Amino acid sequence: MNAKSTPIFTDQAVSLAAQALKVTRGHNTVIEALSLPLTPGAVTAIVGPNGCGKSTLLNTLARILAPEQGQVILNGRDIQQLPSRTVAQQLALLPQDTHAPEGMTVEDLVRFGRQPHQGLFQQWSPEDQAAVQAALSAADLLPLRYAPLDQLSGGQRQRAWIAMTIAQSTPLLLLDEPTSALDLGHQIEVFELIRRLASQGRTVAMVVHDLLSACRYADQLVAMVAGEVIAHGPPSEILTPELVFQLYRVHCDIIEDPFSGSPMLANVRRA
Amino acid sequence: MGMSEPSMVAEPPKLVPPKGFYLLRGHWAGRAWQLLIFKRSLWVNVALTLGLLVLSTLALGAGQVKLTPLEVWQALWGMGTPVQELVVRELRLQRVLAGILTGAAFALSGCLMQTLANNRLATPGIIGIDNAATAFAVASVVGLTTSIAPPGMALVGAALATFLAFLLAGQTGTQGYRFIVAGIGIGAIAGALTQLLLSQVEIDTANAAFPWTVGSLNARSPGAVWGLGLVIVPSLIVALGLVRGLQLLRISTTITVSLGIALKRLRLVTLALSVMLTGFAVAVAGPVGMVALLGPELARLLNRHHGVPLFGAALSGALMMVAADWVGRWMLAPIEVPVGIITAVVGSPYLLWLLLRPATSGP
Repeated sequence: MNAKSTPIFTDQAVSLAAQALKVTRGHNTVIEALSLPLTPGAVTAIVGPNGCGKSTLLNTLARILAPEQGQVILNGRDIQQLPSRTVAQQLALLPQDTHAPEGMTVEDLVRFGRQPHQGLFQQWSPEDQAAVQAALSAADLLPLRYAPLDQLSGGQRQRAWIAMTIAQSTPLLLLDEPTSALDLGHQIEVFELIRRLASQGRTVAMVVHDLLSACRYADQLVAMVAGEVIAHGPPSEILTPELVFQLYRVHCDIIEDPFSGSPMLANVRRA
Repeated sequence: MGMSEPSMVAEPPKLVPPKGFYLLRGHWAGRAWQLLIFKRSLWVNVALTLGLLVLSTLALGAGQVKLTPLEVWQALWGMGTPVQELVVRELRLQRVLAGILTGAAFALSGCLMQTLANNRLATPGIIGIDNAATAFAVASVVGLTTSIAPPGMALVGAALATFLAFLLAGQTGTQGYRFIVAGIGIGAIAGALTQLLLSQVEIDTANAAFPWTVGSLNARSPGAVWGLGLVIVPSLIVALGLVRGLQLLRISTTITVSLGIALKRLRLVTLALSVMLTGFAVAVAGPVGMVALLGPELARLLNRHHGVPLFGAALSGALMMVAADWVGRWMLAPIEVPVGIITAVVGSPYLLWLLLRPATSGP
């Protein structure tokens, strides 16, 4: 039903890449010498064990964290040198810990996504209206647009946050565990929405906890261990029992999903 | 629905404001402009303004010479008897104006600081700024450093306390309880310093300074009132420009940055405004910190917790200050109860409730 919605940002090619990043938090080096170009127009899933630096990488890519060494390059320029607003017109981030203040409705939240395109005297342009409408429709939230966020189910609330990033109308979307704390039905709902967004030409990078969903819904898999990328490529090409062992210290066999053709883990057992 | 031609591209739909907003739009210098005005907030502010006018009229009419509201207005416009005009314009007007200005400044300052720290406890009064400003101003009043006028000294004290609170808060900055706890400590030290200063001077000087140290509109200096008046209007304008960023700050700093707000500048301007307003307000009325807690709360309540009601907070604060001063003059007349004591009596239970309720949340 969303095939008709037209992308609003096809006017430029966009590129985002990490170059020799070193990121520290406190006294710990979380990421060291990490380089990663994002494939334009594709969905990239970043996977890895807890504490491997996935979220730190995503937040550094989004300019929330500053790297100690190396650079994040957005369209050929160091992202740290660009003004917040310029970055926000190119790149939307869905952080992991989202909670809305009391009394905020779905539409209020989605309208905030327009912030980087608005000014003190440009508070509600026709583009804003169209983008909010399109984002609510893409996330199937039109019937819930006036509902307070604290009265929604977890899945609905997560869709509202994704709608906010959609309304930002950026060619790049960075999502930090968009399906965490959602049940299976809601997870698939969100992943399918992400696929639709990618099919409209957006470049998506997401941190995903579940390896299976990552293989099913991502074009590119980035496997991280201890702050380093140990494998990067299409899931069907790079997912091997050895990689799974490196990531999670478990043995398994890899089989092909007879329906989707994506790789699946079978016979998973303790090392 | 199918693959029909996107109709929105061919003919743009009518611009409809989001639910609950008025839309003002037009063209200026070849560019379209639109303003969204939250309906509820507009009407709340209109009601608060009317309430403030009524209350101010009553306050201007109250006292030894009692005047009807009509007589007050006639006197204000120069159409009353000479006695009425003297009483209203020369004796009472400055006091009511001082109440309006300090109330607005305290509450606006509180609303800014609360939003910045994302904590309702983080008002300038609680984190020690009021007390530090008072200590410094008292030092200049009792003559330890005579050269700088009290407003200037109050400002220095306010800035110094904030700086120290930051220093002690360490990495967490204004976010988190460390900032508040550090501020409470600084406030206690500053409070003790004020007492020490007062104990060192002549009893008459100390007596004169006392009402002001608990918060009173009786001990104001005309210069300080003028200073505050000059500061508050530009502050309100700058603050209104910060609203959009502050609304995002209520969600999280990550969201604020990712939606394109220059976070450092937002924080710096907000903090500077808050400190400056508190400094100037303390110079007029002393530490009436409770208004900074109660004013924003009333405004948020009236706005049903929508957005960051800076204007509403300023109006609520002004209303509370004028009301508290009026009650203080009338309650035990002819003895005058300082306004700071009235607001403390009203505000303390609320503060306790804020501290004791199970889940503390942001403003």
